[in-house]
Amino acid sequence: MANALGMYRTVKRLGIPDSNIILMLADDVACNTRNKFAGSVYAKAGRHMDLYGENIEVDYRGYEVTVENFIRLLTGRVDPSVPRSKRLLTDDRSNIFVYMTGHGGNEFLKFQDNEEISAFDIADAFEQMWQKKRYNEIFFMIDTCQANTMYSQFYSPNILATGSSEIEENSYSHENDNDIGVSVIDSYTHFVLEFMEGINKTSQVSMQDLFSSYDPVAIRSHAGVRSDLFQRPLDKALITDFFGGVTQAEVFPPAQEDIQTTLSVAEEMQEPETSQHVPGPQVDDYSTLEYHVPGNAPPNATYTLLSGKESEARDTQWKEVRKWTSVLLIASLVTWVSFAR
Amino acid sequence: MGRKTAAFALSLFVAPVISSTGNTSDFKTHFSIAGERYYEDLVIQPLRDGRVISTFTFTTLLEGVSPRDPWDLETPALHLFPLTLGQILREYSITELHLSLNAGKWNYDNWGYPEDPSVSTGAELWAWMADGGPMSIDERWTGLRNALAGLFCASLGSLDSRRTSSPYSAFPLSSVPSPKIGIPYALRYATLPSEHVCTENLTPFLKLLPCKSRTGLARLLNPQHVFDADWHGLGVHVRSTESGVELRLSVQAVLDPVRQSGGKRRDWSFQILFDRTIDAACPVSSWSTARVVVSNDDGYTLSPELPMGDESVAMYDLASQVPLDISMSWPHEHTFPFPLTPPSPLAPLSIKRALHGSSQTHGVLSVALSNNEHGDITIGYLETLPALVTLWMHTIKVEVRGTRRDDLISDISYHPPLLQPNGHHGPSMLQVKLTVPAKSTLRLSIDVTKAFLKYTEHPPDAMRGWDLPPAVLFPVLVDGPVKHVVNDSFVDGIDSRDGYQTIPHRMYTPTLLVDLPTPDFSMPYNVIILSCTLMTLIFGSIFNLLTRKWVIVKVEE
Repeated sequence: MANALGMYRTVKRLGIPDSNIILMLADDVACNTRNKFAGSVYAKAGRHMDLYGENIEVDYRGYEVTVENFIRLLTGRVDPSVPRSKRLLTDDRSNIFVYMTGHGGNEFLKFQDNEEISAFDIADAFEQMWQKKRYNEIFFMIDTCQANTMYSQFYSPNILATGSSEIEENSYSHENDNDIGVSVIDSYTHFVLEFMEGINKTSQVSMQDLFSSYDPVAIRSHAGVRSDLFQRPLDKALITDFFGGVTQAEVFPPAQEDIQTTLSVAEEMQEPETSQHVPGPQVDDYSTLEYHVPGNAPPNATYTLLSGKESEARDTQWKEVRKWTSVLLIASLVTWVSFAR
Repeated sequence: MGRKTAAFALSLFVAPVISSTGNTSDFKTHFSIAGERYYEDLVIQPLRDGRVISTFTFTTLLEGVSPRDPWDLETPALHLFPLTLGQILREYSITELHLSLNAGKWNYDNWGYPEDPSVSTGAELWAWMADGGPMSIDERWTGLRNALAGLFCASLGSLDSRRTSSPYSAFPLSSVPSPKIGIPYALRYATLPSEHVCTENLTPFLKLLPCKSRTGLARLLNPQHVFDADWHGLGVHVRSTESGVELRLSVQAVLDPVRQSGGKRRDWSFQILFDRTIDAACPVSSWSTARVVVSNDDGYTLSPELPMGDESVAMYDLASQVPLDISMSWPHEHTFPFPLTPPSPLAPLSIKRALHGSSQTHGVLSVALSNNEHGDITIGYLETLPALVTLWMHTIKVEVRGTRRDDLISDISYHPPLLQPNGHHGPSMLQVKLTVPAKSTLRLSIDVTKAFLKYTEHPPDAMRGWDLPPAVLFPVLVDGPVKHVVNDSFVDGIDSRDGYQTIPHRMYTPTLLVDLPTPDFSMPYNVIILSCTLMTLIFGSIFNLLTRKWVIVKVEE
């Protein structure tokens, strides 16, 4: 559980608000009467930092943490009365970070010691999300035994995945707290979090740096990376693209004007799109636009119809768009305390 | 993209408006803001076993507003009243709402009556809704549950039809709002005894307060100490009064300074109990008070001195006395002498409830009510049980000192579990009126059958068993129908009329754990593997027989 809470604290520290984080905890460790330190969960034996803290929102807990709810959450097939805090409200410009931990094995992860989610389930859920335009990029991280098998079945684009251990290999816990009497954190997560400690909102550290920091000797397992589905080079993908709520507004005086004109044009183009659509002679033109929009990424589709000379402004614009809108990040965490692994 | 920017510009435009209203509301502090009043109160009561009950009450009064009737669409502006909760109340047009999330078992004998009577273990939610409007009562109930589950990070979404009942007598509407008295009102009541309470529930709870946990009494609500308490609970109560809609948020905790000091001393202070002190009062509260209930026979010292109030209650006003750290110490006491002989119970009734029987199919539900008073006590007894157990009404038995006393039980009403359209059974409801004779123990027992659940209906930790919700005792009139009596008519807790008495508030029994027959959960896999092996064998040999041609091959030398 400290694994998941450590990740929760990290993404929260990097600026993701609680409303954009979905935390699933199957166990009530913090307020269990067997916890000597009520309301607290620690990730290190010294008990320096309380991960549970005073400000935490757990969205799914207890018996609500099921495979069905997790898949429903990802694919968006939820009951209409389900509140916003229990939904993954993402679109095709959202970057999603999925972190899972628990007991697992070859191509499965156990939920509540009762049911399992298989690698195929997650892969299919991600494909469904891609078809429904529910994500721009996914960063999938898993810490369990034989974790690398969990991402082996992915086939949807723009997914970057990493896991703690290879097939036929266990992931071990990092250290034991003798006062609490259990292992407090897993080795892989511990080193990832340690790496993340050096990251702040403005850092330019890339995913490649994170993956290069994996040390099989220290972690005591071979952490793996799968990047063949991911279209950007790893040294260009920043950690903060997935972990941080970075809203950078860079102002370039000449470009600013261009952007505004582009925007106004875009708005003008879009406004008549629906109104002229039926009666006007340009029905064909606009209907192609309409078909284009759902087919491709919307910003590109819109801008191809604009005058071509503003390509530079478009590039800046595209970057802006990405920066402004790709800060939505969801950590779906499924965990329970591992007593013996 | 264009729309997005437009929306952003709009929000920029709106932001100054909001901040300006915020400024004006700061300007008018200490008074009601546009018909809204907020006040907070803390009652600290040291107990004779060294524990300390602290009850925080944060009240927001929306003056001159009546609950939305289902056809009405207008929404009032809210400043102090939490908007997120207000939206839920208006969306589902809730007249009265009571939600409590508690952990632990309230010990009536040693702790007396709680300030906030909702002390049922786990989650308890009940709401009164005016009927009519485009949404049905059950749709609104579902919506309310899910909305509150999202707001308070609780599993209230699982309070579905299997746990929902309508015990009208035990949970009455506090007051009918003045207009449109003709509207029928409906009640929905549900409990989830296995729900736990933790920081994630307190976080959104504190966000509902106008001063959050920065100033005022809420500053003391340190989760590490509140959730370390022997009993702790959160309560949300919305009701309509003559003056408007009242929202009462309450936090109760039974803290144990003796345990914290290693079993030595019962001295307490804010610093000891919560590891915090109050630095400033909440500026928007009309008044904030901290009261300490003191008993006059002890050699205690209270600091700061010169409190207002009378001999039994010391009262501090936060507006004039911040920073405040109330402390109470017993300087002449070297070690706290824990009362070894059980002292006389503080509540008129002592309750015990158990489920007997070793078998996994049958059992006996038995309740023992001990009357500690010198007069008979008449109460209403309500049992709402999920369909996990079935009550057998012909076996209901009332005994006092080993002899059957069927005259003490009356007005029995029983609703068997109903099969609902979704294939589940609703809860069964048993309501009786009991008279407990003076200074004696009444034993009520009834046989139950435990359900045999489907394989998929078991929770992940099926071997632990299922929690049964607490039974409720509620005050009734001695003569007349079983109806919860509005407790204003009872002074000093006990109403003695004609030698009969009843209890001042609702009381909750402890929860029960029922052990249901659990299957071998790996059995289906064994069956699948075995039958698959058999099928493969049979199919393989038959297929071989049918398709292979057996010929004799002559081997030529």
